[in-house]
Amino acid sequence: MTGAPPALEVIGIGRRFGGLVALRDVSFTVQPGEVIGLIGPNGAGKSTLFEIISGNRAPSYGTIRYFGQDCTRTPMHQRRRDGLCRTFQKVRLFETMTVRENIAVAARQTTQPGGDWRTDVASVLERLRLDTQADRLPAEITLADRKKIEIGRAIAGHCRVLLLDESLSGLTHPEAEDLIREILALNQSSGITVVVVEHVLSVLAAMVKRLVVLHNATVIADGTPAEVAHDRQVIQAYLGTRQSALG
Amino acid sequence: MDMPIPAGRAIVVQPRPGFKSLLPVLAVAAVAILPALPFVNPYVQAVVVRALIFIALGQAWNIVAGIGGLLSLGHGVFLGLGCYVTGILFNEIGLPPWFGVWAGVLVALLVALVMGSMTLRMRGVFFALATVAVSLACDQLARHFVDLTGGDSGLALRFLGDSLWAAQSRSPTPFVYAGLGFVVAYYGITRIILTSRFGLEMRAVRDDETAAAASGVRVFRTKLLGFLVSAAMTALAGGLYMQFYQAIDPESAFGLGQAIQLQLPALIGGLGTAAGPIVGGALMIVLSEVTNWGSTKLNLVGVDVLVYGLVLLMVVLWAPKGLVGMLSRRRVRR
Repeated sequence: MTGAPPALEVIGIGRRFGGLVALRDVSFTVQPGEVIGLIGPNGAGKSTLFEIISGNRAPSYGTIRYFGQDCTRTPMHQRRRDGLCRTFQKVRLFETMTVRENIAVAARQTTQPGGDWRTDVASVLERLRLDTQADRLPAEITLADRKKIEIGRAIAGHCRVLLLDESLSGLTHPEAEDLIREILALNQSSGITVVVVEHVLSVLAAMVKRLVVLHNATVIADGTPAEVAHDRQVIQAYLGTRQSALG
Repeated sequence: MDMPIPAGRAIVVQPRPGFKSLLPVLAVAAVAILPALPFVNPYVQAVVVRALIFIALGQAWNIVAGIGGLLSLGHGVFLGLGCYVTGILFNEIGLPPWFGVWAGVLVALLVALVMGSMTLRMRGVFFALATVAVSLACDQLARHFVDLTGGDSGLALRFLGDSLWAAQSRSPTPFVYAGLGFVVAYYGITRIILTSRFGLEMRAVRDDETAAAASGVRVFRTKLLGFLVSAAMTALAGGLYMQFYQAIDPESAFGLGQAIQLQLPALIGGLGTAAGPIVGGALMIVLSEVTNWGSTKLNLVGVDVLVYGLVLLMVVLWAPKGLVGMLSRRRVRR
């Protein structure tokens, strides 16, 4: 990588909910253009960390840097305007709006000066092959396409880092493969940095070159899928026995 | 949305441009010629004015509740402020309502700003409860400052007879046109908001605040702005209310009954639509008059209110998205 600042720096993040420690001194870095996976068993703290990175929740301590700038106290809407985009674990669309309007909400906030939000919306619809559904309501379309709409809304306008929260869950194998292709194409054609949260290691292994593993509120491994899959702590966390966590 | 629709795309709702675009014009023309018709007496005109005032108030509430999804149960506060400030300034210093009403709007905006700043970060029922609390406080203040507000018995305007300067008239005819002007203007404002970026943001916040913020929408600012626009529109319509009724009292301004009346046009007609409060308000008044007439003819005191309530209940049960919403859905099915 060059001397450019990392896309995302998570520095010593901690979060408590009363007596419960959800995250403890979590640190890792994501370089621009990287596609990384953030994994861990249920209750590991992935969702809390995701909420903190996206700005929907404040950490108890620690710092989040976005392309070198401290954004720990920056509200979620401002982070989105700065290009830090996210989806939700349970798809959250504007149900009374058409697919086109869903994407337009974000495009109208984030289209860069000199750009045209209508063009942005049209290109997102075309890129994700949603243009034939553009005037439908979200309730009228499949889960796979609902997930695509959410991704479309996240990348519309200005997006530099895309945080995907279990976007593959609930999809059939071909649907998941299709979505993975779309995400990787986004990364390669637009240079968007991607952080994917999943709890199934095998799903992510085919998609990313690097995995960060959370367990019991802290990072227990950070490496390639192969390294992580054979990591003793990861195997213990996932299987409780000494096998490959990839199964 | 004014976005281009790709060629060859099937649109879900196919509007019938001819009749649909003519309908508002026909409705305005029908109300405009009403006073000139020989069989329309002052009583009927007064009923029309009542309808127009409640439609305008419903349109104002529709902005914050229908488009913005904020359940303001105390919107009577802004109606009351519009009425009281206009009336007090006229009675005490002789300021004509043409100017006094803007002072009412200003006071309403200030109150809305304070209310909104304190409550709009809350979610769910807290905002609704806070608006009720402010209503109750205003009710007590209006009853307490007797010298200024007339206390429990209310405030009556000094009546000057037919006077353009004082915006007073013995005949309801000028108020038909004033009311019509309000409804047309508020319809236009609603249409503009619905197709604007601000309207898109309000609808996004209504549907899902967190997803809206994740899309870059400044949620609190959007809610506050919607609340302010609605409060100003309500207070402005309050000025018309005051000039037409010539009096206001704490119950009519800040009472729960009034707050519910303000909500009915949009709830019956269709929340979040431009035409909904017009359809709902018109139906409300027609229904109220018919049931009132029927109970008087049959000498059954109180039955009108019962029938009125039952019919409204049936409308809400059959058309939970309002009459306009129901008609749109039927058109989609076809």
